[in-house]
Amino acid sequence: MRAAVTISLKDLRERVRDRSALLFGIVVPLGLAFVFSSVFGGAFGVDLDLDYAVVDLDGGPVAAAFVDEVLPAVVAEGLGEVTTSDDVEYVRERVREGELTAAFVLPEGFSEAVTSGRGATIEVLGNVDASIGTQIAAAIASGFATEVAAVQLAVGATLGPDAADPEAIDRIATAVSEQAAPVAVGEVETRRRELDPVTYLSAGMAVFFLFFTVQFGVTSLLEERRVGTLQRLLAAPVGRWSVIGGKLLTSFVLGVVSMAVLVIASDVLIGAVWGDPLGVALLVVCGVVAATAIMALIASVARTSEQANVWQSIIAVVLGSLGGVFFPIASGGWLGRLTLLTPHQWFMRGLSAMAGGGGPVDALPAAGALLVFAAVGFGLAAVRMRGEGLR
Amino acid sequence: MRAVLSIAAVALRRMLRDRSNLFFVFILPLLLVLLIGMQFGGSFEPHLALHVEEGAGALADDLVAAVEEADVFVIDRADDAAGVVDRVGRGAAAAGLTIPAGYDAALRDGGTVEVGLIVSPSATDQGVASTVRAAVGQQAATVRAARTVADASGVSFDEALARVEAVAAVVPGVAVETSRLGESAFSDFEGLGQFDLGASSQLLLFVFLTSLAGSATLIQARQWGVSRRMLSTPTSARQIVLGEALGRFAVALVQAAYIVVGTRVIFGVDWGDPVGAAAVIVVFCLVSAGAAMLIGATFSNDAQAGGVGIGVGLGLAALGGSMAPIEVFSDTMQRVAHLVTPHAWANDAFAELVRRGGGIGDIVVELAVLLVVAAVLVTTASWRLHRVLVRS
Repeated sequence: MRAAVTISLKDLRERVRDRSALLFGIVVPLGLAFVFSSVFGGAFGVDLDLDYAVVDLDGGPVAAAFVDEVLPAVVAEGLGEVTTSDDVEYVRERVREGELTAAFVLPEGFSEAVTSGRGATIEVLGNVDASIGTQIAAAIASGFATEVAAVQLAVGATLGPDAADPEAIDRIATAVSEQAAPVAVGEVETRRRELDPVTYLSAGMAVFFLFFTVQFGVTSLLEERRVGTLQRLLAAPVGRWSVIGGKLLTSFVLGVVSMAVLVIASDVLIGAVWGDPLGVALLVVCGVVAATAIMALIASVARTSEQANVWQSIIAVVLGSLGGVFFPIASGGWLGRLTLLTPHQWFMRGLSAMAGGGGPVDALPAAGALLVFAAVGFGLAAVRMRGEGLR
Repeated sequence: MRAVLSIAAVALRRMLRDRSNLFFVFILPLLLVLLIGMQFGGSFEPHLALHVEEGAGALADDLVAAVEEADVFVIDRADDAAGVVDRVGRGAAAAGLTIPAGYDAALRDGGTVEVGLIVSPSATDQGVASTVRAAVGQQAATVRAARTVADASGVSFDEALARVEAVAAVVPGVAVETSRLGESAFSDFEGLGQFDLGASSQLLLFVFLTSLAGSATLIQARQWGVSRRMLSTPTSARQIVLGEALGRFAVALVQAAYIVVGTRVIFGVDWGDPVGAAAVIVVFCLVSAGAAMLIGATFSNDAQAGGVGIGVGLGLAALGGSMAPIEVFSDTMQRVAHLVTPHAWANDAFAELVRRGGGIGDIVVELAVLLVVAAVLVTTASWRLHRVLVRS
């Protein structure tokens, strides 16, 4: 045991002096996460401050109901502002320029058409790039249209299509509005088990570069064989497995330290939200073990350290891309199934499961999956090592 | 001249013969274009998770039909309410709707009933939720009208509902007409082939990245004493520098040509006007060659150069719009991108050529900027390399 630790300490000292571990383990991923978050972090944000205008060209009672009752309720809800105007062209121009999110236009003769049972139209003008604000405006107008339609239907079905008696119409309109709403909509807001863009990118970069960081420990075995120090190590009263253990320990320490620095730095510097500390620690440790195991397996199959490095890099990039570190992979189709074969995807899933206030228990399935990768990797590597020997 | 060409040829041969490059230079770019095209190239349709309990009744089916008719999203049916909540939570659906058993019966009896609408706090999903609310509102309005008719005329609810539905077929009601005004920043993305955007952005990313990664060979040449031996021959330092520059350029050009041909053949990618595209590619290869030479001349540790090269290569690509299109950047970030990266200008040029069908005349500004950047990089790098060689 002590031999393994000594070997590991020697390797770690070498790495730190070389600065390459520092570069790959911390500087590059953090730098990239920072760049990505400045680029993407604010890019997809949606501003929900709505600026609406309404032009009432009609002036009749139905139009007035929309302007005086429906729209003020929108303002009262705090959704945004509504201004009234007389000039359609001016409003149209402001929407086109993007100064207004959307505008409502009630054409002349609107109220007359509604009360006589003819068709009527509310025009919603939306700015082309304000699709959500326009959708909401259309929804507001539709809600009003539905109310009006209810009255029209009731009047039509009771008094016939040519109903003209204003008193009767009024009575029915009142009766309809006094009807209790038969269908209530019980809204439930779910906790979104998804990472925000900044955290997603930070975590993606961290787990991607992890697979490069842990290479240093496991590949040094091959390097020592080439340089000749391995034979001298084995000549000493040090067990073969102590030597291997030392190398694995190096990878493990490098991986955990670099991940820890990345987690803290991305949290402090760019506002990534990793989640429950215990859960994150669990995922990091399991992730490092899985990465070490896979890289060790490749090293056990390679003949030279250069060959090992190349294959490790290839596997790291392929698993990373398929695992969704650069962009999310949707869950459907064969691609969605392929992504589950990567430890990267499970690491990200573990974090997502805890997003929005979950605890370490939520991360257990992902941690378990990572340990499966580790078991398979180490198992196969051990078989290779025992068969080949450390000659 | 022959010395220059043979030095360049060696650089090219080394790159092609290195077996690890087989993956990183040839397989990976196409793999990423494929992945990006599959993930983002298609059109986006939001999903609605739906669960209708057994015995919800005919009116529930009407509600579902109304929701389907809106034709705004894809409907995924779940086996139970928990499945709906799970889908929305995971982000597989933008919103969820559950309709309880006895929905129809309650409405016909004059009672009230509650449907469940599961929403996510994400603003982009509000559109789906509001469409569902509108559909529910419409059915509620029909029911209220029917109840009023039943009260006023003294008929049964079923009869009243039939009358109301008959009127609904005839009365046009109030329509809401939505029109979009203004010029969209995204308007020219429509009509883009599924793989076109990924291809041009990945071309820039990989040409630059491969060049930078290859800068390690320049350092190795110095480390292994090859440069010293070259200088001892009747080859001047200036010829060596020129040869290395040409070599870097040749490597970048081969990478670019491979991606253009490969994506055209395999994915049917449209690269726009050939003259314009060739101009952009040649100039961008010059920029990449210059950057690679600068790194090769500045660093003396090839592992460090490799790390820096990858970091700078990926970072500039992200900043320059080779990972997400520049159009989604904020105004500040767009300015930063154009100030700091050659990728931004090259991506703009391709946007003009591919999305707006422009020709070489439309990208003169972009080409000029890239040429200036290339000139500065190559000159600085050559000067540095010359000094380093002569001193060694």
